[in-house]
Amino acid sequence: MISPHNDVDKLVNILSKVFSNTSIENIMSSPPIVVTEETKIKYAKEVMRIKGISGMPVIKRNLKLAGILSIEDIIKVFESGDLNDHVDKWMTKDVVYLSNTDTIMKFLELNDSKKFGRYPVCNDSGKVVGVVTKLDILEWMFKKLGYIYVHDDRRYKTLNKQFVSSITGEEVNRENSDFKFKVNYKSVEMVGLGATKLKKFLIEKGIKQDLVRKISISTYEGEANIVIHSNSEGCIYCWINEDHIKVFIEDRGKGIEDIETALTEGYSTAPENVREKGFGAGMGLPNMKRFSDRMTLISSLNKGVKLEMLFYLNDQGG
Amino acid sequence: MILEDIISEFNLELVNEGNLKVKINAGVIGDLLSEVMRNGKENCIWITHQTHQNIIAVAEVIGAKAILIPENLNYLPETLERAKDMRINLLKTELSGFEITGKIYKILKDNGSI
Repeated sequence: MISPHNDVDKLVNILSKVFSNTSIENIMSSPPIVVTEETKIKYAKEVMRIKGISGMPVIKRNLKLAGILSIEDIIKVFESGDLNDHVDKWMTKDVVYLSNTDTIMKFLELNDSKKFGRYPVCNDSGKVVGVVTKLDILEWMFKKLGYIYVHDDRRYKTLNKQFVSSITGEEVNRENSDFKFKVNYKSVEMVGLGATKLKKFLIEKGIKQDLVRKISISTYEGEANIVIHSNSEGCIYCWINEDHIKVFIEDRGKGIEDIETALTEGYSTAPENVREKGFGAGMGLPNMKRFSDRMTLISSLNKGVKLEMLFYLNDQGG
Repeated sequence: MILEDIISEFNLELVNEGNLKVKINAGVIGDLLSEVMRNGKENCIWITHQTHQNIIAVAEVIGAKAILIPENLNYLPETLERAKDMRINLLKTELSGFEITGKIYKILKDNGSI
């Protein structure tokens, strides 16, 4: 329906699908920077220079939209006009504008067909109540997304609360997990609570003790990492499947900059106060690797950690 | 070897009582939690200087049957609380870690438990 022209448009396009029902008034800059028709060009251009904007709505005395004045119009004045001319002589009169109740989808359609950088936003009585630019939309989305930087289809799925297992290729559906535990990241003392709960749960489900042990040790390490390193909320999920048990541990914290180094035995960034308690030996990730049959870690700086571990119910994975 | 017998043999102080009839057939010593999780075996006795409450969960996940602290150290009150909930045996001794480890190792070895 909408064909992206460049990377920014593509990004706006992908993101917008997620937020397509959000109305423009939640995003627009308001109150807008405007000029009246009678303003002289020499003052209008100063407003644009000082505010660092490349255009602004022009309004009538009753605050209704009269036109839009852009850098291009100012250039025309320099070429063939007089800086003492009034804005209404040079502004673009045929303005494309949005209503405050329009959604992001409407913006996208306009953005695709018109290619303007900014749109005035009017309320139902025609008064200019805001301005919205592509950048406003992007900034708003990023704020909404928090830490997620969206740059491809896989992360688009993450936005939709889906995560595709890089081990099995199936979607991770947090809603249908057999076990869920929210990690209290503020309390080092509570590390292990999730792991022991999971252990109890798995024993009740009749899982072999050996396997339960591997799973709960690995989970303990994952849980400890959330508390020690992420400084964010985290969650432990577990699914019991026909031939394997999957544990998925995620947080929204500062992430791991260099995963390879983090996986090195003995390497740790844990602070002194937790090292005194015997954490931070740099063996957490290596232990998870050791005790799980398959492990995948997805992370980068400030984007949290997603850790997926598989434990086979028979001996196929060793 | 039954835990109860180890306790009486070395005159260990029982700080929290779980199931004392369990069989001990391994031992692990360490203060680094991850190291203990890596090396500790099911049904082991764990000798450590750590006295804070995280040790209870570690003992639970590895399947240790008792925690023993040397040098007459004391468990933190929160640790006791949690041990009660989880029914984990907590022991202590005035002997050094080196000494008690040697004694327990010897007796387990001698009677064929390890």
